[in-house]
Amino acid sequence: MSHQAMQHAEDFRAGHALGLDHRKLGMWLFIASEVMFFGGLISAYLHYKYTLGFPETTDLNVVLVGINTMVLLTSSYTVVSALTAIRQGRQGRFAALLLLTILLGVAFLTGQLYEFADLYRQGVTLTSGVFGSSFFTLTGFHGLHVAVGVLWAIVTLFRGLRGTLNAEHNMAVEIFGLYWHFVDIVWIVLFTQIYLIV
Amino acid sequence: MQGSATRPEKGRPSYGVIFLGLVILTAIELGISVLRVLPPLSTALYLLFSGLKVALVAAFYMHLRQDSRFYTAAFVLPALLLLVFALLTIAI
Amino acid sequence: MTTASASVSWRRYFWWNTDHKVIGVQYIVTSFFFFILGGALAGLVRAELASPATDLLDGATYNQVMTNHGTLMIFLWVLPVLAGFGNYLIPLMIGARDMVFPRLNALSYWMIPPAGMLMIASFFAGGAEAGWTAYVPLSIGGPPGQTLWALSVMLLGISAIFGAINFLATVIMMRAPGLSIWRLPLFVWGMIATSTLILTATPVLTSGLIMVALDRVVGTHFFTVTSGGDPVLWQNLFWFYSHPAVYIMILPAMGIISEIFPVFARKPIFGYRMIAMSSMAIAILGLTVWAHHMFTSGMDPRLRVPYMVSSMVIAVPTGIKIFSWLATIWNGKLRLTTPMLFALGFISMFLIGGLTGIFLAAIPVDLHVHDTYFVVAHLHFVLFGGSVSAVYAGLYYWFPKITGRMYDEKIGRTHFALNFIGTNLAYLPMFIAGLMGMPRRVAAYDASFTSYNQWATLGALILAASTLPFLYNAVLSWARGPKAAANPWQALTLEWQTSSPPPPENFPEIPTATGDPYDYGEPSPAAEPAAAPAAG
Repeated sequence: MSHQAMQHAEDFRAGHALGLDHRKLGMWLFIASEVMFFGGLISAYLHYKYTLGFPETTDLNVVLVGINTMVLLTSSYTVVSALTAIRQGRQGRFAALLLLTILLGVAFLTGQLYEFADLYRQGVTLTSGVFGSSFFTLTGFHGLHVAVGVLWAIVTLFRGLRGTLNAEHNMAVEIFGLYWHFVDIVWIVLFTQIYLIV
Repeated sequence: MQGSATRPEKGRPSYGVIFLGLVILTAIELGISVLRVLPPLSTALYLLFSGLKVALVAAFYMHLRQDSRFYTAAFVLPALLLLVFALLTIAI
Repeated sequence: MTTASASVSWRRYFWWNTDHKVIGVQYIVTSFFFFILGGALAGLVRAELASPATDLLDGATYNQVMTNHGTLMIFLWVLPVLAGFGNYLIPLMIGARDMVFPRLNALSYWMIPPAGMLMIASFFAGGAEAGWTAYVPLSIGGPPGQTLWALSVMLLGISAIFGAINFLATVIMMRAPGLSIWRLPLFVWGMIATSTLILTATPVLTSGLIMVALDRVVGTHFFTVTSGGDPVLWQNLFWFYSHPAVYIMILPAMGIISEIFPVFARKPIFGYRMIAMSSMAIAILGLTVWAHHMFTSGMDPRLRVPYMVSSMVIAVPTGIKIFSWLATIWNGKLRLTTPMLFALGFISMFLIGGLTGIFLAAIPVDLHVHDTYFVVAHLHFVLFGGSVSAVYAGLYYWFPKITGRMYDEKIGRTHFALNFIGTNLAYLPMFIAGLMGMPRRVAAYDASFTSYNQWATLGALILAASTLPFLYNAVLSWARGPKAAANPWQALTLEWQTSSPPPPENFPEIPTATGDPYDYGEPSPAAEPAAAPAAG
C-alpha cells in the first residue's frame, strides 16, 4: 500500500492547528542542520583567521565579489517575485523570473570561478596553506549549494512550464525559494566575514 | 496562507523595497571597504549591516514575519548556538 | 496469519519499504548485527588484555581493533538501534499512520548498510587506528582505511539528520486528536530531545570529517601542524557533536525506562512534566559542555571552570529523572518481568556511570584520570549498563507488539542475570585500574594491573555468553512463540490499543486520546481504544 497516498489533510491536523505546513517544516528543519554545517566550516575559517592571521586576505578582490554579492541578492528578489507570480496564476511571468534566477545563479558561480582562478594565479590554492584550505572549502561548499540550487531551479521551471505547478499547487516553489534564500543568507555571512572584515 | 500579492501583506513593504534596502546596504558596505574605514568602526558596521540583510531576507523573502514562530525558532536557535560555538572555537 | 502471508512478510524486511514499522525492524536487526561484530572486536581486545604483554595482536592491529570496536558500537549499534525504536514507536504512540516523510525514512535506513560495509571495508584497507575520536594529526597520517572510516561516519550522520527531521516533523504535525504535548509518552519526549541534538550537532561533525578527509586525500592544511594547523580545532569540531552524542544515546533509553516502570509497577509515573522537561534540559545543556573532554588539551585555562560547572549542572535534570523513577516504583505492585528486570538494572548501573561522570567533570580529578581506564569504566557503565540495558528492556517489552508473539520469560531472566553479572564484573575493576594509572588504548600494561584485567576479561566472557540466550529466545519466539495479545502488559499508551503486530495502517480508525498515558489505578480510561482485537 502506498503510504504517500494514505496521507490526508486530517493526518496533519495537529500541525495545521499550529499554522504549520509539513513540507515547509521539513525544509526549515533541514535549514537548521545546514546552519550548523556551514557553522562548522565558518568556525574553522574564523579560528585560523583570528589565531594565525590571514595575510592572503589582501589578495581577495572585494569589489568583484561585492558585485557578485549583488547578483545573488538580485536572484533572491527574482525568486520571491516568481513565487508571487505563480500564486497569481501568471505562469509566463513565473517562468521568466525563474529563468532570470537561473541566469543570475550561473553568473554568480562564474564570478566565483573567476575569483578562484585569480587567487590560484596568485599562488593561493586549496593546498597552499591554512587560508587556502579553509577559504576554498568554505566558499566551495557554498558554491556547490548554489549549483544544486540552480539545478533545482531548472527542475522547478520545467514543472511550472508543464503546469504541474500553478496557482493552486505551488508549495514546491516556496520550498525551493526557502533553500535559495538560505544559500543567499549564507553568502551574506561569508562575504562579510571573509571579504569585508579584515 | 496562500495567494499573496506583490506585497507579503497589506501595509507591509513590497519585495522591491526590501531589495532596494539590500542593495543600498551592500553598496554602503563596499564603500566602507573601498574607503578603507578602519576597524573597530568598520567591523561594527559590517556586522550590523550584514545582520540587517540577513534579517530582511529571512523576515520578508522567507516569510518568517508572517509565518509560524516555529519556523523562526528553527532558524534562530541554531544560529545562536552556532554563534556560541564559533566564538568558543576561536577562543579555545 | 496464514503461512502464505507469513512467508511474504519476512521478505519485505530485505527490500525498500516505506512502512515505519518495517523500517524500525530493519534498523533494529541491522544494528544488532553490528552489536555482535563490535562485541567480537571487544572479545579480541579483552583476550589481548588478559595478560600484560602484547601477545595476541601487535600494537597496530590492536589499535585498529580497539578503534573499530568503539566506532561500530557507537555509530552502528547504539545510535541506529535507538533510531529503530523511534521509528517503530513514534507514529504508533502518537496515533498516526506513519511518519511525515515515509520515503525519506526508507532512505535513512538504506544509507546504513552501505555505510556499514564501508566501515568493514576500511578495516581491511588498513584500518583506522586513531580511536573512535580520530584525533589529528594521528588520523591524518594513518592507514588508508581511515578515509573510508570518515566517509562511513559522514554517511551515517546524514542518515541520522534525515531521521531527526522526520521524527520532529511527525511529532509536531501528526499527533492524534486529544494528544496534547503534555500527554505525549515520555519515550516520545526523549526522541524530541534526541532529534533536536541530532539535527544541530551532527552537521558540525560532518564538517570536521570533511576537513579530515580533505587533508588526507587532497592535501589541504586544516590540521597540518607545520602549516599552522591546530589539532585542538578538530577536538572542538569532534566533541561539539560527540558530547551531545552521548545524550543522543541515553535520552531514548531513558524514555524506554519511563515507559516500562509505570506499567510494571502499576502506578502513574511520578513527575511526568519534570521528566519531560528534564529531557529537554539535558539536551540543551548538553550542547554547551563539549570542552570537558578537552581539559588536558592545552585549552585556555580560564574556560575550564565554566565547562566544569555547566557539566555538573546536567546532573540536576538527570537526578530528577532517577528520583522520579524511584518514586514511581515505590510502593508499586511490581511485576518482575524481563523488561522490568532490565529497567531496574539500568537504574543501578546508569547511576554508577552517571556519578563517575560527575567525578570526571571535576577538573582536578579529570587531570588525573583522563585517558585512563577510569574513563573506559565510566563510559561502559553508562552505555552498556545504561543504554544497552534499556535497549534490551525495550526489545523484550515491545517484542509481542512487533512480532505478535511472546518471548520465553525464563530464558529472558537468565539473560538478565548473565548480563547484569557480566557487566559489573567486566567494568567495575576498570575503575580501580584507571585510578591506579592504567592508560586506555594500550595493548600492553604494567603487571600491577593484571588482576583487574583478568576479572574484566572474565566479565566480558560472561557478557558474550549472555547474548546466546537472548538470540535463542528472540529467534525461536519470533518463529514459534505463543501468539501475543494486543495488550499483554495491559498498558495504556496508544501502541497497545491496536493489534500485535499492528495492521499496515496502524489503527483501523485514528484513536482519540482522552487521558494521560500513565493513569494506572485512575478511575477513567486513558484512551478510547480503536477496535483492538484480542489474541489472534
